[in-house]
Amino acid sequence: MEPYELTLAGAAEKIKAKELSPVELTASVLARIEAVEGRITAFATVTADLATKAAAQAEEEIAAGTYRGPLHGIPVGIKDLYETAGVATTSSSKVRADYVPAQDSAVVERLSAAGSVMVGKTHTHEFAYGAITPTTRNPWDLERIPGGSSGGSGAAVAAGECFVGMGSDTGGSIRIPASVCGTVGLKPTYGRVSRRGVASLSWSLDHVGPLTRTVRDAAIVMDAIAGYDRADPASVDVPVPDFTAQLDAGVAGLTIGIPVNYYTERVDPEVADAAAAAVTVLVGQGAQVREVEIPLPEYILPTEWAIMLPEASAYHQEMLREKADLYNDDVRMFLEVGELVLATDYIKALRARTLIQQQWREMFEGIDVLIAPTLPTPAVPVANTEVTWPDGSTEQATDAYVRFSAPANVTGLPSLSVPCGFTEAGLPIGMQIYGRPFAETTLLTVGQAYESATDWAKLAPLQ
Amino acid sequence: MPREFRGDMLEHALHTARLHVPAERVEALRANVESVYSVIDRLDTLDLGETPPATALNARWE
Repeated sequence: MEPYELTLAGAAEKIKAKELSPVELTASVLARIEAVEGRITAFATVTADLATKAAAQAEEEIAAGTYRGPLHGIPVGIKDLYETAGVATTSSSKVRADYVPAQDSAVVERLSAAGSVMVGKTHTHEFAYGAITPTTRNPWDLERIPGGSSGGSGAAVAAGECFVGMGSDTGGSIRIPASVCGTVGLKPTYGRVSRRGVASLSWSLDHVGPLTRTVRDAAIVMDAIAGYDRADPASVDVPVPDFTAQLDAGVAGLTIGIPVNYYTERVDPEVADAAAAAVTVLVGQGAQVREVEIPLPEYILPTEWAIMLPEASAYHQEMLREKADLYNDDVRMFLEVGELVLATDYIKALRARTLIQQQWREMFEGIDVLIAPTLPTPAVPVANTEVTWPDGSTEQATDAYVRFSAPANVTGLPSLSVPCGFTEAGLPIGMQIYGRPFAETTLLTVGQAYESATDWAKLAPLQ
Repeated sequence: MPREFRGDMLEHALHTARLHVPAERVEALRANVESVYSVIDRLDTLDLGETPPATALNARWE
């Protein structure tokens, strides 16, 4: 086994035991990038020289007895929305092609303090405004999309180009690429992780979090990045747990909510079957199930769009007027449409959001988590991103994906996507585990219990 | 009834937004605006009563 094939936790154990050096591990990852990047284009920028220096520093520190923890010497990829001091941060857009920030974003600061090694900036759908990430291909099938908007992070983690890919999630942009690339992806509770220094798509829906190969790896990253930050107006000052402490607590006694609507409509049967089988695995470990009805289902997408469109257009207002021609056409169109959403419609959506949040709270009475397919369909072909359902209706992939992922953004609830199988064609399938506010440890416990009982967590077979 | 942007209605809306859109983009924009409003106008059927908006403002200074 090559070092890049280890999990984060596995590599960290070896580094701590001085059986593997950060320099050796980083060299292995950079060689992997060299070998596969030409086919998947997960990175906007590869920072090989910086990574080699950082790995050497980590090695010196560890040799001198200063071991910072399980991220010390671990190669990570950072979505190109995150500001990185001295390293181009383009948001995968010509609009910001020359932007080199002077400071790190809050998450990058924390990852650096934990000793991680940044190997590059991963591609995003332009400014995170879409679920396709057209720059990048899916390592499981190069003719398919990697999802988005954190498609570069999903592809990079799945291909073994880094152990962590940081993502952002406004309508599903961590969980969508996680699901279609066969990785774990955690969208924490709104306010759990600081977004300072991350280009916004929609301030009141944006979240940041990790994509990793395993649930344990995600917990390790959360230990480093979670916490209050006054510089992010949405940050919430609540106690930060040890995210790895309860990982192996098991699911006995937990009650899983199973939706009887919304997540049962327009969903690929292979996906639905895989998610149902996953619940059966957890029941076999002592979990109970209870059927629940998703409240106000017809208002989720109208709320998501009526908030996201005008907030995004407000963020881009000046750039759209100065550099419209530099945007890709799909993003420019979204931004132009958002200019025309009335403030009263926007506020109506914020009020609807209050009702949806209240009713999800009521739905959670008597259940600990809600489990549903992360997405209604696996990765779609690059050449045809339209999904055709058995009733003859069609839906663009972005619309279909966001339909299943947006409830977590509208409610702000944490959601963990975990691989739960493959289609007959060999494409990854994911399930998402929703929890109560700030109950990420419960999600991670459930995800860990499932992952330990199955064998889906693996790298894409890309030679 | 979803809102429509027929004729010069779209131009007026763009003028209000102080946004110039090249002529060749206008028809596509019209279709997309109407499509988006057909989605968000579903909120008209939701009884909001006295429900306040969900905002993210934290009034503390520290």
